[in-house]
Amino acid sequence: MNDMIICRCEGVCLSEVLDAVEDGANSVPGIKKRVRVGMGYCQGRVCQPIVRDILESKLGNGTKPHLQRAQNPVRPVILGDIVR
Amino acid sequence: MSYKVIVAGGGLIGTSIAYYLAKSGAEVTLIDSKDIASGTSGSCDRAIMIQSKKPGPTLDLAIKSAALYQDLEEELEVDLEYRKSGGMIIIETKEELKVIKDMVALQQKSGVDVRLISGDEARKRQPGLSEDLLASTWWEHDAEVNPLKVSFAMASAARRLGAVIKLGSPVRNLMTEKNRVIGVETSEEELYADAVVVAAGVWTPQLLKPLGVDVPIIPRQGQILVSERLPPLLRTGILSASYITNKLRKGASREAADPFGVGLAIGQTHSGSLLIGGSRQFVGYNTETNPEVTQKIGEVAVRAFPQLAKVRIIRTFTGLRPYTADAKPILGAVQGMDGIYIAAGHEGDGVALAPITGKIMAQIVCGEEPEKDMRAFSLSRFKQ
Repeated sequence: MNDMIICRCEGVCLSEVLDAVEDGANSVPGIKKRVRVGMGYCQGRVCQPIVRDILESKLGNGTKPHLQRAQNPVRPVILGDIVR
Repeated sequence: MSYKVIVAGGGLIGTSIAYYLAKSGAEVTLIDSKDIASGTSGSCDRAIMIQSKKPGPTLDLAIKSAALYQDLEEELEVDLEYRKSGGMIIIETKEELKVIKDMVALQQKSGVDVRLISGDEARKRQPGLSEDLLASTWWEHDAEVNPLKVSFAMASAARRLGAVIKLGSPVRNLMTEKNRVIGVETSEEELYADAVVVAAGVWTPQLLKPLGVDVPIIPRQGQILVSERLPPLLRTGILSASYITNKLRKGASREAADPFGVGLAIGQTHSGSLLIGGSRQFVGYNTETNPEVTQKIGEVAVRAFPQLAKVRIIRTFTGLRPYTADAKPILGAVQGMDGIYIAAGHEGDGVALAPITGKIMAQIVCGEEPEKDMRAFSLSRFKQ
């Protein structure tokens, strides 16, 4: 079960997410920087809530983990359209 | 009893210092207000550009650092995505050619055998470069590395050597006794040590200010665009000459001509994404991205590589580079105060200089003679 895929864009499994938390990650960006979860084409739009829930359950104490900052562009945009 | 050192700051610089200190037998505690690489080191590019460094003490350090990088993967037992990719500074105008020619001459004098090559040779070395390109520099020893991997690997290696790492622990205060720093007070506890090294980049001045120590580091925002994954496209690290002229820029007139300080700095990550930078702006601690800057960076990128017009951008981000007025980091003790050291202010040179900074700071903090004369990097150079 630990090899369930959490982030499909970057092919990151649950076991890797758990390892990142074990390593000290205390936020969604912290997990991302360790194992690339949410770093790909969809920018965590699909996996971030799941990663947040995993982190919340691991950290316990009811703290809301820090999420990845939403950045422009809101969806992939062709560079030629940006410079036009 | 061993020597106790606290390193405040878990970026490239702090983790490297913690590693080299632990390696030399010190009892190290590395603390960060958030996480490893959660600030500047997690929002930068991957270039270990040596040829872009200003000839002089910084270039000398960068050369030593590059030598350390070559063995670091084996030493840390981690794939750091280190690659000797070579590097180019591409030249679009005659004015740029003149500036770069002078710089190359200085570098050759310092023992860096950078060459000026024609536009045709540049296009042969890096297919896809624009037909309009006038010339370029080329140096085969420029390299690249994944700064996230370096930060995490340094931290893990330090931990294996006995270092304690405390994340999510903001430093509230440096504790002093007479003229000596005796430890730090975090949000949770008081930690005592024989020495404290502040490696907090752009956040260094706030930590030292209560001691009456003025650290002239100013945050300089740089923005980077991230592309979708692409097949291998970039063979080398590439900067535009305007990136260099912006870096060296001082006068207000140039600021007016381009308030965003846009110059191309482009590389491709292991995963295939392009990191397309960048800009240089003094906007305080603001990390908002700016669509206008995205557009300007896009323009210089497409001008250099016309095929990039078809590439999708998936994200933009900014990082705060720790700028100093003379483009050199501050490395060493604080005059008139014991037990406190600073290693910060690398601006865009942090990736290149991280290993040597860690090694030399460990030497200084442990009371050894540093392997290089470090007076050029002292905080006291600003006291005039």
